[in-house]
Amino acid sequence: MSVARRRTHIDSRTVGGVAVLGVLIVISVLVPLVSPYSYRTQRLDEMFGGVSGQHWLGTDHLGRDLLTRVAYGGGISFLVSGTAVLVQTVVGVAVGLIAGYFGGRTDAALMRLTDVILAFPPLLLLLLVTGLLGPTLLNIVLALALSGWASMARQIRAEALTLRTRDFVAAARALGATDGVIVRRHLLANIATIAMVRASLDVGPVILSESTLSFLGIGIQPPTPSWGAMIAEGFSHLRTHPALTVIPSVALSLAVLALTFVGDGLTEALDPRQRRR
Amino acid sequence: MVPLVLGTTLLVFALGRLAPGDPVQILFGDRGDAAAIARGRAQLGLDRPLAEQYVRFLGRLGRLDLGVSYAYPGKPVGELLAGAVSTSLLLGMLAVTLALAIGLPLGIASALWPGGLIDRLTRFVTLVGIAVPFFVVAAVLVLLFSLRLGWLPVSGWGELRHLVLPVVVLMLRPMAYIMRVTRLAVSQILVEDFIRTARAKGLGPGAIVLRHALRNAAITIATTAGLSLSLAFTGAFVTETIFAVPGMGRATVTAILQRDYPTIQAVVMLYTFLFLALNLILDCLYAALDPRVRYS
Repeated sequence: MSVARRRTHIDSRTVGGVAVLGVLIVISVLVPLVSPYSYRTQRLDEMFGGVSGQHWLGTDHLGRDLLTRVAYGGGISFLVSGTAVLVQTVVGVAVGLIAGYFGGRTDAALMRLTDVILAFPPLLLLLLVTGLLGPTLLNIVLALALSGWASMARQIRAEALTLRTRDFVAAARALGATDGVIVRRHLLANIATIAMVRASLDVGPVILSESTLSFLGIGIQPPTPSWGAMIAEGFSHLRTHPALTVIPSVALSLAVLALTFVGDGLTEALDPRQRRR
Repeated sequence: MVPLVLGTTLLVFALGRLAPGDPVQILFGDRGDAAAIARGRAQLGLDRPLAEQYVRFLGRLGRLDLGVSYAYPGKPVGELLAGAVSTSLLLGMLAVTLALAIGLPLGIASALWPGGLIDRLTRFVTLVGIAVPFFVVAAVLVLLFSLRLGWLPVSGWGELRHLVLPVVVLMLRPMAYIMRVTRLAVSQILVEDFIRTARAKGLGPGAIVLRHALRNAAITIATTAGLSLSLAFTGAFVTETIFAVPGMGRATVTAILQRDYPTIQAVVMLYTFLFLALNLILDCLYAALDPRVRYS
């Protein structure tokens, strides 16, 4: 890590990204804990309440506290997307390493599989899997990971292909290391950085995909809040109460923007080959 | 490519079998006695072995017979989707053409004058295009141009005015990618030796960009344009739903929400062919753009 720190010239965008992301995460963890309101209790006498001392961001069309819902929805988005990226990274790294290291028929079969996944537009795959299997949280995570692991596997395979011809792999084999040890101890260690960079870059797009699903009504189901679904609900009141749409929109865009900056910053710090010019 | 198509048809066939109950039961609903249902099953060939059903399914696909919709009983899926496909193609093409027309010159300009006003503007638009989702852009535009200023309709289809907002929404992200890639590709080529030579022999900046820089960046830009077209097609899921455009994107979302399996099958097949065709066209384009590319 010290090497990474020395190489980094930390630019203001990365710092800003980390700060915004930190604030959003703190809000989405803390607010549901301390808020006196629940995300689902409807108060029909308090519909479309404006900003007030009780409701810092006002209330929505069913009288629910908007701040609580935005925070809770953010927490769910981060949780679902983070888990999905974790799953797709683990699967992608495992498949990529196996395909790249063992080569031959294993490689060919696994790569044809990625071909089929990559031939589908990712959003269509997501819509199909969650739409037809049912939009439970688990299915959403699995669908997101399913459409994301293939490109990760491709990149890790390319790395493994060059790594397996390196001298230290030959040396390890000469010392009697088995394939399993070489893959786990030597290749994995050399690939970890790239996998981390890829994973950090993937979180933003995955949050976008999740919110798109929820926006279309095929993702996280009401009354559980999610930024995408809240924006969709707000759409029908856009003329009279634009805040219902604008507030979750701002939160979502800020989150994706911050994640993009953090991902770019991490890429520059950890992966010198992908430096921006 | 052939195994890919076959793999997809197998997947799509399996998709139809995922349906709870079988098509006949869905078509008949609660009505219909056991004998009628059995007759219906025989008619649709559902009493045959799965392998035979698959071969028949392939045959029907070959004849472009996409079956009958569950959601609108009696209506052939092909009829439902015929107009939708051309609508979405029109929207997508329009969006990508505009994205190229605006993004390409701006990308070149920001490569020529890095750090300048155009470069900074381009970077900002790129950032917005990549980080802000389609439906947020749509919300902002509707709020501004339809509800506040009243210049454009909120949604609908049929008139030219209805085209504006969906096209702008669909255009933004492709444009962002085109600008970014063009800027990168051109600025990488501008430092090459042959550009210095061209400049040294007295070639003007316009000719250098057009004849040397752009020709060398052409493949990268074409790839991005192809990617943009697929972005515009998948962006249609959200955009067409918001603006009530009767296209393929909205048809897909509706079919999935209604679990209209024949329509879902048809739509997935259509998208697969669309993307395969796109890749094929791109591959041919590479050879045309770069004489070094040869397919043996």
